Amino acid sequence: MPLNIDWQQILLHLLNFLILATGLYLLLYKPVRRFMKKREDEYAQRETSSKQALDDAQAKREQYEHKLADVDSEIAQMKKAAAAETAAMCSEKLRKAESEAKAIVDDAREKAHEEHDKIIGGVGDDIRNIVDEMTSKVALSESVDDAYESFLKAAEEDGNEKD
Amino acid sequence: MTKEKHKIKKKTVIAVAVWLLVAAALIVGIILTDPLYETDESVSEVMEDAVLHEANQVDLFGLAVNPALISGFVVTAILLVAALLIRIFAIPRFKRVPGKFQLVVESAVGWFEKLARTNSPHRNSFLGAYIFAAGVYIFFGTLFELIGIPVMAISGVSLSLPAPLADINGAIALGCLSYLVILSGGVVSNGLRGVGRTLKDFSLPISMSFRLFGALLSGLLVTELVYYYLALSFVLPVIVGVLFTLMHALIQTYVLVMLTSMFYGEVSEPHVPKQKVGRSAVKHKKQNFAKEVNHE
Repeated sequence: MPLNIDWQQILLHLLNFLILATGLYLLLYKPVRRFMKKREDEYAQRETSSKQALDDAQAKREQYEHKLADVDSEIAQMKKAAAAETAAMCSEKLRKAESEAKAIVDDAREKAHEEHDKIIGGVGDDIRNIVDEMTSKVALSESVDDAYESFLKAAEEDGNEKD
Repeated sequence: MTKEKHKIKKKTVIAVAVWLLVAAALIVGIILTDPLYETDESVSEVMEDAVLHEANQVDLFGLAVNPALISGFVVTAILLVAALLIRIFAIPRFKRVPGKFQLVVESAVGWFEKLARTNSPHRNSFLGAYIFAAGVYIFFGTLFELIGIPVMAISGVSLSLPAPLADINGAIALGCLSYLVILSGGVVSNGLRGVGRTLKDFSLPISMSFRLFGALLSGLLVTELVYYYLALSFVLPVIVGVLFTLMHALIQTYVLVMLTSMFYGEVSEPHVPKQKVGRSAVKHKKQNFAKEVNHE
């Protein structure tokens, strides 16, 4: 062959290079690339998570600023609501107090009425007893004036006792 | 003050003595190794043999082969042993923040990977591995000639092992293999269309092989020429031997891997069907163009 080209030697060169390429790929290229890829992925993951955290922080900040901007109107609304609630509570309490007072007065009135009836009812018996007593006393011993005097005295004592 | 002067004087004496010893050792070495390279061949015969390797073949298990094939085997053995050592001792100790050695290894792998990715964005994992191996082989194979390991030819002549790719057979092997890799990229990506695209550049294996061969051979020839004469063996080899070899090792590595990855990227690019343009669309386009021209 011209230029000393030898197919056998070309094949030997090819075989030699094939062995070298396989060896270099398995021993050097693949492990180093895997290491670099792993590190790259790790950094990418870190970047993603930090970006996510940054976005969250930004969103929270925006939310906070938004809230801060609305806080005045919110406070005014809250004040208004609180005032309305207080007024409602006051009127309710007032209404309750009035109804309680009315009930107490009614109760007291009813009780007084009952007492009055009771007293009035009880007075007849007392008078009768006194008259009987005085009558018997007059009839037995003293004059009419004394008897009348005794009757008034007994009636007065009875009245004091009842008070 | 006197003590300091005495110290400086002592240092100077030691430096001169070391220099003289090194020079003497070199001269002795030159004289002793001179007969090893004595040859009855004329310079033209040496040059011719450097190109063709017809006379000075080496015995490989009973097979007469060119010395560059032996170089190829030696380079492969050295590189594989180095890769094995790196795999066992260095890679498991790789850190997230790389040290100097890790940086060198990562840069080399990263450079080839990036080259493959940028030149062939659609398909590049195999290409990256191939150009890494080819680049490492060409670079270290070319630098290998600097060591100049002497071997005995079948003819009895002593010669130093050349770069593996300074042999036409080695260059053809790598050039054709690169072409086959490009062809495989075309076939895997585009089927028959890929074959067509690759075969379109039918001169590629020849140009790649002979470019590699020519570039490496020229370095070898210059070196042979320089080393042929003992008088030129001082100072000059530092420039022609080391610097030239380093330069063309770098350049040839770059050229071959760049060409391979570029052609690979070209043939593996997915086919985009052309949009059919109807008559009405052409007419409409022409009308628009005419309107724009009139408007201007």
